[in-house]
Amino acid sequence: MAENKMTFDALVVGGGIAGLQAALDLADQEFKVAIVERDASIGGKMIRLSKVFPTLDCASCITTPKMASAAHHENITIFTYCEMKRLQKLAGGFSASIQQKPRFVDELKCIGCRQCEYECPVYVADPEQGGFSARKAIFVPFSNAIPQVAVLDVENCMLCGKCEKVCPTKAVDYLQQPKDFSIEAKTVILATGIGITPLENKVQYGEGKIPNVITALQMERLLAPHGPYNRVLRPADGMEPDSIAYIQCAGSRDKSMGVPYCSRVCCMYAIKQAMLLSGALPLADVTIYYMDIRAFGKGYEQFYQNAKAMGIQFVKAKVARLTEGENGAVTVHYESQEADGGVTSAEHDLVVLSLGMVPDWNPAGYCEVSTASDGFIRSVKPKLAPTLTDTEGIFVAGAAAGPKDIVDSIAEAGAAAMSAAEYLTVLNSRRRAVA
Amino acid sequence: MRDSTMDNNDKSKKQAMKQLRAERKEMIKAASARMKIQKKKIEAIKEQLNNGERTIPEVAEATGLEPAEVLWFVAALKKYGEVVEGEKDGSFFRYQLAAGLSRAE
Ligand SMILES: Cc1cc2nc3c(=O)[nH]c(=O)nc-3n(C[C@H](O)[C@H](O)[C@H](O)COP(=O)(O)OP(=O)(O)OC[C@H]3O[C@@H](n4cnc5c(N)ncnc54)[C@H](O)[C@@H]3O)c2cc1C
Ligand code: SF4
Ligand code: SF4
Repeated sequence: MAENKMTFDALVVGGGIAGLQAALDLADQEFKVAIVERDASIGGKMIRLSKVFPTLDCASCITTPKMASAAHHENITIFTYCEMKRLQKLAGGFSASIQQKPRFVDELKCIGCRQCEYECPVYVADPEQGGFSARKAIFVPFSNAIPQVAVLDVENCMLCGKCEKVCPTKAVDYLQQPKDFSIEAKTVILATGIGITPLENKVQYGEGKIPNVITALQMERLLAPHGPYNRVLRPADGMEPDSIAYIQCAGSRDKSMGVPYCSRVCCMYAIKQAMLLSGALPLADVTIYYMDIRAFGKGYEQFYQNAKAMGIQFVKAKVARLTEGENGAVTVHYESQEADGGVTSAEHDLVVLSLGMVPDWNPAGYCEVSTASDGFIRSVKPKLAPTLTDTEGIFVAGAAAGPKDIVDSIAEAGAAAMSAAEYLTVLNSRRRAVA
Repeated sequence: MRDSTMDNNDKSKKQAMKQLRAERKEMIKAASARMKIQKKKIEAIKEQLNNGERTIPEVAEATGLEPAEVLWFVAALKKYGEVVEGEKDGSFFRYQLAAGLSRAE
């Protein structure tokens, strides 16, 4: 990056599906757009999923082309591995102070060949694979990451010099420093997305200490074609599970977790995963313990009915706690809310928690945009103009405004782009009138 | 032939690397210690997988490592092309060294 200050029409914060869609919609109208992404790759949660409800499209097959279109668009500039330190309002626009974290690899030289990764002797649990497999201390984030550029993680690096030696393009640069720069833009779209409540937060569910209790995001990896085992296995011992259970609302609609709201997508992703499991392990029993199924979208009720018809068990119950069973099994203690009711328990080989969704980023201290009581970015006209924040010129899109599925995130991203385009057009015509 | 600017560049890089090593001393020490332990575990696992196809519990039993840890290393070694998945045995899969496989062929 030669210059320290760059100017664009719009700045999109967050390169998940919502941010990418908003950027593409603006760029197709000839606006110049910058996307700032905190991660080493764009794509957000969606690129990490296996298949997506309700169509069961392969997530990678439909996300990668969007990522590539944004990356190759002449009106879009993508800044990955960047932290936004501050977003300030100026006369007629905004200025964002950005810091690019050092990859210790020259982005322009690296060709993503992964020779460094193969050569590096240090294995590190790979969060991109739910921790179930390893990457190295220098690594390309994942196979369909964009950009395909290696990142060196200093905490696990011995500075042995092997990666530098093997790199065919001399891209490794142990001395790289953070780079500070600023982006000026007339409008901003916040598309910072969601995180999930940590597995460790709930005592009743074992605080992450019971083997073979995993998160739904980890199950996405087990089901993904490039997953850690390339098949569904129990992480504690490699057994192919015969019986898998889902615990719904594990962290949502739960005041003790600070998440009193419904996370909206968990019923649907659990049903989706259950269907995919039935395909991957035709002999396995899949049970979903639920309070009520919220199949809210178009075609979703049918999806739920199809799952029932496939033989997936739906047990209306409140799960009280999980305990470690025999031979790696997990015991689910629950209060049945079906005809005969009663407190009972069942054993499963693998238990998946449908965890709650929380905002990934809090704007407090970064910019003058406020959040609602649930922590998501406040929409000042939630019904009539859901993308408006309380700062004029800053719009919100996707799960940053509240838990949302992909369909709604994309629709809202289009709406945010439309509002931003309108804002830019008015601003530009006012400027012309003054001139 | 090397010119003097090159020598100077080399010198300043060497100096900077020395300083970086000093700054990261603790991290480097910890990472090296972890790597050494990993190396031993990987050797023990590979030794088992070199003797033919083995399941995760079999390797765990023979090496004294936790099955979860064996699976973690096997998954990693498989990713980097050193281990291949073999036949299914009951509810478990068998794994073997890729090198062992090419020797057998
Ligand atoms: C287990 C699971 C399964 C799911 N399955 C489905 C499914 O089958 N179908 C479906 O429709 N939906 C599914 N969803 C929901 C889906 O993931 C979301 O709807 C979608 O990812 C929302 O997109 P987004 O772009 O708003 O947010 P995200 O995907 O969260 O992207 C936000 C991006 O912003 C970046 N970011 C955050 N803060 C900053 C910052 N300060 N600066 C720069 N960048 C930042 C993040 O790194 C990320 O890349 C699932 C969710 C989960 C958890
Ligand atoms: S210098 Fe660090 S990243 Fe590179 S090979 Fe050695 S340990 Fe791995
Ligand atoms: S840093 Fe070098 S060796 Fe590593 S992926 Fe990039 S080009 Fe290949």
